[in-house]
Amino acid sequence: MNPLESLRLAWRSIRGHRLRSALTTLGIVIGIAAVITFVTLGASLQAGVIGDISPDDQRNVYGWAAEPDTEGGPLAGAQPVFTPDDLAAVEDLESVEAAYGYATIQTQAISNGEEQVAQGNGLIASGPSYIREERLVEGRQFEMGEREAVINPAAAGQFEENVSVGDELTVTILGGQETTLEVVGITDTSEGLSPFEGFESSPRVYVPTDPYYAEQAVGLGFGGDDESNGDGGAESDGNESVTNESAGNGNGGDGDDTSSDARFLAIIVEAESADQSDIDAARESATDYLESDASDASEFLGDDLEVQLQTSTELLGQLQDVLDLLRNFIVGIAAISLLVGSIGIANIMLVSVTERTREIGIMKAVGAQNRDVLGLFLTESVILGVIGAILGTGLGLVGGYLGAQYVDLPLVYPLEYVAIAIAVGILVGVLAGLYPAWRAARTDPIDALRYE
Amino acid sequence: MATSGTAVSLSNVRKTYRIGEPVHALDGVSLEVPQGSYTAIMGPSGSGKSTLMNLVGCLDTPTEGTVVVGGREVETLSDRERTRLRGTEVGFVFQTFNLMPRLNAVENVALPQLFQNVGRSERRERARDLLERVGLADRADHLPNELSGGQRQRVALARALVNDPAIVLADEPSGNLDTDTESDILDLFDEFHGGGTTMLVVTHERHVAERADRIIHLLDGKIERIEDLKESGESRAGPTTDRGSGREGRRNGGGDAE
Repeated sequence: MNPLESLRLAWRSIRGHRLRSALTTLGIVIGIAAVITFVTLGASLQAGVIGDISPDDQRNVYGWAAEPDTEGGPLAGAQPVFTPDDLAAVEDLESVEAAYGYATIQTQAISNGEEQVAQGNGLIASGPSYIREERLVEGRQFEMGEREAVINPAAAGQFEENVSVGDELTVTILGGQETTLEVVGITDTSEGLSPFEGFESSPRVYVPTDPYYAEQAVGLGFGGDDESNGDGGAESDGNESVTNESAGNGNGGDGDDTSSDARFLAIIVEAESADQSDIDAARESATDYLESDASDASEFLGDDLEVQLQTSTELLGQLQDVLDLLRNFIVGIAAISLLVGSIGIANIMLVSVTERTREIGIMKAVGAQNRDVLGLFLTESVILGVIGAILGTGLGLVGGYLGAQYVDLPLVYPLEYVAIAIAVGILVGVLAGLYPAWRAARTDPIDALRYE
Repeated sequence: MATSGTAVSLSNVRKTYRIGEPVHALDGVSLEVPQGSYTAIMGPSGSGKSTLMNLVGCLDTPTEGTVVVGGREVETLSDRERTRLRGTEVGFVFQTFNLMPRLNAVENVALPQLFQNVGRSERRERARDLLERVGLADRADHLPNELSGGQRQRVALARALVNDPAIVLADEPSGNLDTDTESDILDLFDEFHGGGTTMLVVTHERHVAERADRIIHLLDGKIERIEDLKESGESRAGPTTDRGSGREGRRNGGGDAE
């Protein structure tokens, strides 16, 4: 019997039991939809994350000190060990282009003149080159030691009147103190610039670690910075309430013993180029220095902590591992649903074979070969599997779309998985239908014709 | 088609079932069914009628002896060849019609050709042609449950004829029909027989059997006697119908006689 005819006959009997066929297919639909949704989200997340590493970022090595074997993403288990002296010393190393600390400063609100908006983790303190030139659409990088900031479009757009270069903003720090900053540049993206920040879009204000982090460290009791050149305070005419000793602020380069108490959780080391050898050299020399007795960090490192320096690609790799693990876990659960679905198909096919014993007998009596009967039932279960796979794929793609929208990720459909899903549908149909079809094929026509 | 004018022949056929005690359902039966003949087989339950039907219909193979259908020895064939022979050389008409419930009349009639890889349009043409000949041209697109018993049996007859078989086997073809419908169907049988089709009818009922050229009486797996109605020279006396009522008991009892 030719395959087209099998298809026609099989389709006929599926349509003969609409509800039963629909319910049977549902297991496969749910299984495939779950797999496709999570794989789509995974691929979208990956695209969102990887898509944000610009070539220049590849020069950066991100470091923090944590207990070895700490699981998790960037900064997991990080302890504040790096002093400004360490940073200066690392920057002086031969293979290092630049080194600076990285910290986030908890804030309450940002105001532009009269208008105030709430902002939880607004300030990101780092070095000037953290904002790469080519990311700026307007203005310039901030300078170390100045009350300057570069903001991203989301931060600029959150006020009624867009913030532009030259405007002055007032920031309320978590403790309630206020400080001012002058916007000197605006970036081209609202997404994070490094793995430390995460990659989701949110309003961000980038400031130099000095003075902002140095002040905070004082506020939080990490240390003090009463060294003052007094030049920064001159511009801050609007900040009457700027707190205590940091009203005027230091240039930070003096490296005296007091400023060394402001310790950083994280360090960013810039290699001379994105070449792997340069990166390795920068990483090695920085690690060597930080773990040597000459560094301030070493006094905390001891046996417990270890400095980890990694490129964003490596960090993303770790992140990716976590994502993959999560995804595999969910895909595994979805696969169980597929298994249950295929058992459902097998079950229904067995019922169907028993129910249609007489029909099988008739077909055999009028000349159907065993393989015709086998083909017929197998086709039927494959149709169920494929319909399940197609509907499941559709549902999964919609689910992936909604999910990506919700989490605000660029939508990437892993098309190879769609092909795999269809293949799995066929496979499930074949495997689930094999035994029932075989039973149907070897039905004895004499018995079958007598069957009531 | 059959050679030398014989559609089906059985020589010394024995069929033994082994369910505990060996039971001889057929015990040395020899029979020739000439091409174009009309034969009826009568006998009480357990006399071996069904077994004979299964053997002639290539559904089963004999334990001993040879069955030749359409010029081929059934027991020498592989399962596949036997199925093919059944599909092309045997047409079945059953008491319970045995139509495919989800196929309409045309599709039911065309079903045997489906398994012989006949093209779709050719199949439909042939099926419609046959439906017209059995007087169901206007019912061609109806499903079996939309047809009366007599109409269903006509569809079954058309299906039996679709591959132009060497023999049409009818097993109690009028068993589920009322008297009027029965005679309609039997008239159709006569009509096709007149057109050259070889008919073999198994029945309990004398008046059905009497439509045939000859009646073969089976008893306990053996041919009791052959009644030739054409020459009507055979004795018409003797117990011919409805002997006994216990099916299994009858069959087992018959089997013991070796």
